[in-house]
Amino acid sequence: MLFVGNRELVVPGKLLADGDYFAGEGTFIEDGKVFSSVVGLTEIREKNVSVISLQGRYIPRRGDRVIGIVTDTHPYGWTLDLNSPYTGNLMASELAGRKVDVFREDISKLLKTGDAVLAEVKEVDERWRVQLSVGERGLGKIREGRLVEISPAKVPRVIGRKGSMLKILQETTGCRLEVGLNGRILIRGKDPAKVNEVVEAILLIEREAHLSGLTDRIKARLEGKK
Amino acid sequence: MEAGKPEKLIVNGRRLDGRRPDELRPLRIKAGVLKRADGSAYIELGKNKILAAVYGPKEMHPRHLQQSDVAVLRCRYNMAPFSVEERKRPGPDRRSMEISKVIREALEPVLFLHLYPRAVIDVFIEILQADAGTRTAGITAASVALADAGIPMRDLVTGVSAGKVDGTVVLDLMKEEDQWGEADMPIAVMPRKKRITLLQMDGNFTPEEFRQALDLAFKGIDLIYEAQKEALREKYLPSLQEEKGEEK
Repeated sequence: MLFVGNRELVVPGKLLADGDYFAGEGTFIEDGKVFSSVVGLTEIREKNVSVISLQGRYIPRRGDRVIGIVTDTHPYGWTLDLNSPYTGNLMASELAGRKVDVFREDISKLLKTGDAVLAEVKEVDERWRVQLSVGERGLGKIREGRLVEISPAKVPRVIGRKGSMLKILQETTGCRLEVGLNGRILIRGKDPAKVNEVVEAILLIEREAHLSGLTDRIKARLEGKK
Repeated sequence: MEAGKPEKLIVNGRRLDGRRPDELRPLRIKAGVLKRADGSAYIELGKNKILAAVYGPKEMHPRHLQQSDVAVLRCRYNMAPFSVEERKRPGPDRRSMEISKVIREALEPVLFLHLYPRAVIDVFIEILQADAGTRTAGITAASVALADAGIPMRDLVTGVSAGKVDGTVVLDLMKEEDQWGEADMPIAVMPRKKRITLLQMDGNFTPEEFRQALDLAFKGIDLIYEAQKEALREKYLPSLQEEKGEEK
């Protein structure tokens, strides 16, 4: 039996479902019943009950695309800040795409402290040590572009439903965006004015993430400036 | 010592501020008042004014304090120098350190700390104005702030005090009653399952009075619990409308 509707605002400890239901993200099971563990909106998909949190830090998960910033170099690679309680680890061989003899090569030439890297979370172990990978196309050291940081909980709003918001941001300005799920967004474009517009738009999305008709307003705003 | 003590604390079944024995002081809770904190809450309970802020989960420094399997919860209860009539010397003292510890122990059972091993969650409770019952009001505010920070919790924690003045069992003592009354019992509860996470007592109750006080406290907690949930909903209600609107 369900006790809430879909997309309903719930608070921690709220009874969501009893009986044959699966407890998804943002929920927990006690005495066979499903409760909410965070403030957020319910999402019910058949027998799956989960709560989408409206706040919170980024927690790394396998397969997530993130933007990390190098904080330290260690003998075999780098430690990256992920805007999260947990830091990421990138191996030198992973970045170089080949075996690296750390005794002969100076890996600090590849990345320096403060450099930004677009990466994918390769593995998260039970102690929350995060391994990053840059194998896929387009991943790796970020050489150009503007980086914006927003609250990780608001990233889905920047992407929009099935990428609708992202599409508007890219098509109306001609800029290319790389969205890190950890709340960092990279904007690449030839025209600095256009890049500024996107930055403004993203900050507006973050500020007004809770207001309605956001996609349309962003669209009007960006098209008006054409 | 007895200077300023009113002759009677309860006259015709009414307390000094006009409340009945089972009434709470006026209560107001607001979630998300600090921009730079991950979560925050402000509470006013009568003349109490308390601010709670939560930071985290974040990486724990120094590293030797990290727990490899769970997150660490740190609490700091602090009274502002101007929070009481006679200036309080700033900084931690014996009393505030003890209160910080019992508050931490009152909040720990609701948190899923095993979700964030090696991390730390910091809770700061600042008493801006004190009028008895600050530790329980602090717990109430801190749990709203934790929920506001998006930290997974089993339930909120709600605190209230019960006590005895002029031989009558009363709810939510104010300063005069705390000072001149016969007993003061702060209590914190996880309301959903009615599990007690903090229970202290100062003064004397008969077993019968203790039970009465406990019943009274639970009644008060129900009311405060609703206010806590309302405060959280209030902060996010606009976002609910937006999500509904976007669906079309």
